[in-house]
Amino acid sequence: MDIQELKNKAKEALKTASNLEELQSAYKAYLGKKGEVTLILRSLAELKPALRKTKGKEANELRDFFKDAFKQRSKELRRLQSQKQKNRERIDVTAPGKRLQEGHLHPLTQVQRKAQEIFQAMGFVVVQGPEIETEWYNFDALNIPADHPARDMWNTFWLKQPENSKFEIRNSKFLLRTHTSPVQARYMETHQPPLRIVVPGRVFRYEAIDAHHLFNFYQLEGLMVGKNISVGNFKAVIQEFYRQFFEKPVSIRLRPSYFPFTEPSFEIDMRFGKSDWLEMMGAGMVHPNVFKTAGYIPRQWTGFAFGMGLDRLCMMKYKIPDIRLLYSGDLKFLQQF
Amino acid sequence: MLFSYNWLQEYVKKELPKPEKLAELLNMHSFEVENFKKTKDDWIFDIKVLPNRAHDCLCHTGIAREIAAITKGRMQLPKTKKIKTQKGKLAPLKVRIQSSELVPRYTALVIEGVTVGKSPKWLKERLQSVGVNSIDNVVDLANFVMLELGQPLHAFDYDRIEGNQMFIREAKKGEKLETLDEKALTLSEGMLVIQDAHRLIDLAGIKGGKVSGISHNTENIVLQAANFNAASIYQTKSKLQYQTPAANIYAHQIDPSLTIEALERAAELLSELKIQGKITQVVDINPQKVKPKRIVLPMHFLESLLGIPILQKETKQILQSLDCKVKMRQSHMEVTVPLRRVDLTIPEDLAEEIGRIHGYETIPAIFPTVSLALPPKNSELLWQEKIRDAFKEIGFTEVYNYSLLGEKDFSQFFYSKKEKDGLVALENPQSSDFSHLRGSLMENLLKNVGDNQKKTRLTARRVIRIFEIGNVFSKDQGKFNQTHMLGAIVSDGGFYEMKGICDFLLNSLGITDISYDEYQATPEKSRSALWNKAKSAELKVDSQEIGFLGEISSALASSVKITKPVGALSINVDKLILLASEEKAYQVPSRFPASTRDIAILVPLQTKVSEVMNVIERAGGTLVSDIDLFDIYEGENFEQGKKSLAFHIVYQADDRTLTALEVDTMHNQIIKAVQENPEWEVRK
Repeated sequence: MDIQELKNKAKEALKTASNLEELQSAYKAYLGKKGEVTLILRSLAELKPALRKTKGKEANELRDFFKDAFKQRSKELRRLQSQKQKNRERIDVTAPGKRLQEGHLHPLTQVQRKAQEIFQAMGFVVVQGPEIETEWYNFDALNIPADHPARDMWNTFWLKQPENSKFEIRNSKFLLRTHTSPVQARYMETHQPPLRIVVPGRVFRYEAIDAHHLFNFYQLEGLMVGKNISVGNFKAVIQEFYRQFFEKPVSIRLRPSYFPFTEPSFEIDMRFGKSDWLEMMGAGMVHPNVFKTAGYIPRQWTGFAFGMGLDRLCMMKYKIPDIRLLYSGDLKFLQQF
Repeated sequence: MLFSYNWLQEYVKKELPKPEKLAELLNMHSFEVENFKKTKDDWIFDIKVLPNRAHDCLCHTGIAREIAAITKGRMQLPKTKKIKTQKGKLAPLKVRIQSSELVPRYTALVIEGVTVGKSPKWLKERLQSVGVNSIDNVVDLANFVMLELGQPLHAFDYDRIEGNQMFIREAKKGEKLETLDEKALTLSEGMLVIQDAHRLIDLAGIKGGKVSGISHNTENIVLQAANFNAASIYQTKSKLQYQTPAANIYAHQIDPSLTIEALERAAELLSELKIQGKITQVVDINPQKVKPKRIVLPMHFLESLLGIPILQKETKQILQSLDCKVKMRQSHMEVTVPLRRVDLTIPEDLAEEIGRIHGYETIPAIFPTVSLALPPKNSELLWQEKIRDAFKEIGFTEVYNYSLLGEKDFSQFFYSKKEKDGLVALENPQSSDFSHLRGSLMENLLKNVGDNQKKTRLTARRVIRIFEIGNVFSKDQGKFNQTHMLGAIVSDGGFYEMKGICDFLLNSLGITDISYDEYQATPEKSRSALWNKAKSAELKVDSQEIGFLGEISSALASSVKITKPVGALSINVDKLILLASEEKAYQVPSRFPASTRDIAILVPLQTKVSEVMNVIERAGGTLVSDIDLFDIYEGENFEQGKKSLAFHIVYQADDRTLTALEVDTMHNQIIKAVQENPEWEVRK
């Protein structure tokens, strides 16, 4: 066949190949093992030298031309193909993303962690205690004698003594702890000052249920004992805590209060800027009788103690209107945190 | 308690601060003012008097004294009259007390020829302003003096006290008494009562008896100002659930010398209230004379406790404004406190008085000087938080549930009587729905799933994964037990999912020696009604049982309206934490490629995967780096009672690329080993 004719034919074949597969078979048809161009190249050997020279040149040119044309066409087809693919794989950026099932920690856990972190950074150790307590640790050891109206400050759930109980001594009646303060007494019994502890935990009160009251809730108790620990020290520590917790400037104030286990005793109010004062917690300087019960020599040591409601802190932080939501197990609520 | 602004003004020489200012001053220095309201020509303050001040501040002179101290003003005390007896016709009243401990002081006036009538307008208005109804001039006198001085008074009709005698004693069990407000009480042993020659006439310190009350015909009265044992009154009023203003005051213990002060005030008012009459007898049983307390206040004590220097002059002035007598010594102050201030006994009490009157707002915030040494870590807490994080990582939501449960739960969750008896019961529950402490976290978690599914019925249902960490309670052999538990539930999850969660959790706590055993009913450890026994297991670490996992029994699940299988796990956190370990060592992964061969084995249905895996492991040796079960199939294609287990077996060496020949040789060894068991067949 005439080389020129072959060239035209090959050109046409490359041009009409509409995809890479067709292009590949066109390549095979001309430059494959039995391709037309290959055959010509192979037949050159049989020609006379003079003819071989001219024919050979032509044939090689044809081969190079075909290779170049093939490369170009295949580039073109590849571009077309990826263009097509892109068109096919279009996304809608406004369609919702695939939903993952992510985990959530309870808001009370988060608040408790944050509070603990701040106090730990100030050198406080986190300590825990039992929820079933004895009358002794919950009251007597904290300078709250039996048959004293001060006990009315804590509406108490008492436990039915187990049958055949061996504990019938006075003040070993069991109850659900009404505050985390018993852990103060327990800890001081076994540790020597100076000390700094915080005690998070669940406490119980015999309370009518409403948006702000429940029979179980969380407290965080704090106790610092050392040489010459003063009211001024307490103010500094607790102001720092609130500042860190709410991550903005706060001021606090102390009002007189009464707790049998502290003297003097305070209520702590807090506010942001010039807003209204918010009641935050009770506190005071550890009563010497509590030290005495713990086996410390009173006045050799002084200290402050405080107890804050974590539920309240949590409700303030996240603007939660009803304490019952915290204990509802409602995923629509819990998965917002 | 309610206080009248005008009434308070009567006892303070200086003009009182404006009501709003007064409320703020009281808030910051004495007591919380819950609210203050304008009336026609007065302001009424509702003041929350603190329990340690009930003995001197549940009265107008008490609050007035606070105001005087805060504003550096002076008191003007109400007029009193020295008591003088006159001769009369009445037979003397004989009073006896059972013990001086129960009645530290008993004081009374016998007044002959009184006129019981209406009170003057000013008195009626005073009483009404603070919410007390006017009855007649005698009762009003008693109430007025109590509201003024804080000493309860009570008037008996002299002629209704049979035999002219009173005996103050503890009641016997079952004695009966009708009070002035017509409550028929059955008394228990030890309650303080007053009897005359024949009968009970008074519930001492709490309420008068109906039989001895005064009326319009009353001619002679006994006006009592007594001091009763605070603990006894507190017990009685708590037991009877009987609140009266007098009982409240007595329960807080008052100064025994107040009785005479109150009667002297009453004597002054007799003619003003047109009660008239003449005092023919003064009863005063005062067995234990009380002396004022003296407190030594070291000079540097205040500064070191409060954290602010306060001038001696000011300290002295504050104490004196509270009626303390102060003597300056070389190194301390000697402070004599007024009898009325039962609460002041130690230097810290004085520090509180000085601190609050001076103003806590003046105390500067100063950080304590402390050692920088780090405190010991609370590893229990760290692990507990790690468990929480682990569950969060795998898509669980944490819940907090109530610690209490009750009858509704017992029937909903099929509690047997024995199981219920094993729970800790409250002595004074609020309701039958919250009468016991939870013995397991599972019931509430199941309820959570049910509740959430109900709420999302219309929207697409998603698998609910929740967990809780909390204490559960039980009792045995006369002891209460508290156990720290972890519970988790997957609303549409089977045994294998729960097992995967367990593996993940334990691995993240660095616990390795895990094994799973057939579920064995051990009722004291886990409620047997809870689990689907065929699809549950015990979780063991180092052959110690630490929890259960598997599927919840379908009966229980359907009781909270869940139809799909519910996967659950319940693990003892205390035990888990003891096993947790932070030690981790990096293991260099092999640089050489791994080859995988699959094997499918037909085994009897009851054959455990672990048995097969053990055989493979043993036959394969060290070059088998992983055996991964990817399919369990029980189908019709197999002969009866058989199932197919399919594994990927991964071969890899640390020091070279394994040749195909080596891998095939090992794989054939495994096939051979498996087929040594006549019941097992390797599928081709």
